[in-house]
Amino acid sequence: MKALLISDQEYPTKTYQALNDLTGKFLKHKGFDTDMIELEAENLTFCMGCFGCWIKKPGECVINDRMAQINRSVMNSDVVIYLSPIIFGQFSPNIKNIIDRSLPNMLPFFETRPDGSTMHPPRYDTYPRQIILGYGDEISDEDKQLFIDVTKKHRRNIEVLIYQETAENIVEVLNKMELGRVGGIL
Amino acid sequence: MRNVVLVSASPKINGQSVSREFLEIAGSQINTDVFSKTFIDVRKSILTHNLSEDFETLSKADVIIISFPLYYFCLPGILTRFLVDYYNYYTVSENVKNHIKVYAIVNCGFPEPEINLEAVRVIKSFCQHINAAFRFGVLIGGGPMMFAAKDAPFMKKAVQKLNNAFSSITADIKVENSAKTGHVYIGVNFPFSRRLYFFMGNRGWISTARKNGLQKKDLYKKPYRLNE
Repeated sequence: MKALLISDQEYPTKTYQALNDLTGKFLKHKGFDTDMIELEAENLTFCMGCFGCWIKKPGECVINDRMAQINRSVMNSDVVIYLSPIIFGQFSPNIKNIIDRSLPNMLPFFETRPDGSTMHPPRYDTYPRQIILGYGDEISDEDKQLFIDVTKKHRRNIEVLIYQETAENIVEVLNKMELGRVGGIL
Repeated sequence: MRNVVLVSASPKINGQSVSREFLEIAGSQINTDVFSKTFIDVRKSILTHNLSEDFETLSKADVIIISFPLYYFCLPGILTRFLVDYYNYYTVSENVKNHIKVYAIVNCGFPEPEINLEAVRVIKSFCQHINAAFRFGVLIGGGPMMFAAKDAPFMKKAVQKLNNAFSSITADIKVENSAKTGHVYIGVNFPFSRRLYFFMGNRGWISTARKNGLQKKDLYKKPYRLNE
């Protein structure tokens, strides 16, 4: 079983370090062979909205940087955990770049979700269990809720947790999750 | 004279940017006898390392209008970076205007304008961090198609709503203590079905891929899981 832990080194706070250690140990304890990616601002460029990953080289980003390897690792993992600072109620710039540039893993077409909204269909039959763990100091309740809504209102196959209490609470929630590949539900 | 800064945050540097087009329409309604207008292109700003100059422009703004495309249900990474860096500039700068008015124009490729709401909430949160007054958002569904077909008769109603929304921004800018206004939602008002909207969109991807020498089946490639 493979796991991938993606975190953002741009905000090297105590919480960041504690969460990195905590989730790394958790995955090891669960028997996962874990790869860790600690992002810095210069590692990845922005998605430039060219759609080359759909209409030039389907399934692969056309920008030549580390993202091709990250997308390959994501798609071949059983679990992926993203540790993201919560900034203005959404992801940090580095984590947002990772999310934007996962677009190759979807198809370009339009499909209707069960709630009637539109989504791009999955490219693959299965995906890793993806968990976004948001953290930060002095985050308002409004921003915490927004951080959850940004993903949970629109994507059913990704879990969102907020680190705000104790390490034990996070481990307890993670323990209750099925940590393995899931179908590509919209 | 009061300063209006119009921020275009499409990550595309070449080719047509729908966000920029919407921003220019909104900007064209602002009276230049009363307001000075400055455009900032976030991508150019970052690529040409022009951030300090553009942050200084922002710090002197009385009004900021930010237009951007929705990326994964919130801000594009490039705009996220720009706003975080501006916030860092704001926290150390002593001469930044406070209580300025901020508006967001967000467009997406999906037909439903409501899915832009979380992105607008992010801009509102940003405003709270820089002591600015977020006024309201213009949430546009089917943005690229709306712009491409703006002269078609069936688009008349949506274009009218768009112009009204931008007029609302212009009116709100002028008033010192205006009442709170709700967000404006504008979807593509097709005379035909959502299914046809999907059909047209899906066919567009296939025909563009064919121009690149691909076949329809190539669009479904699974480069990272060859056995699925």
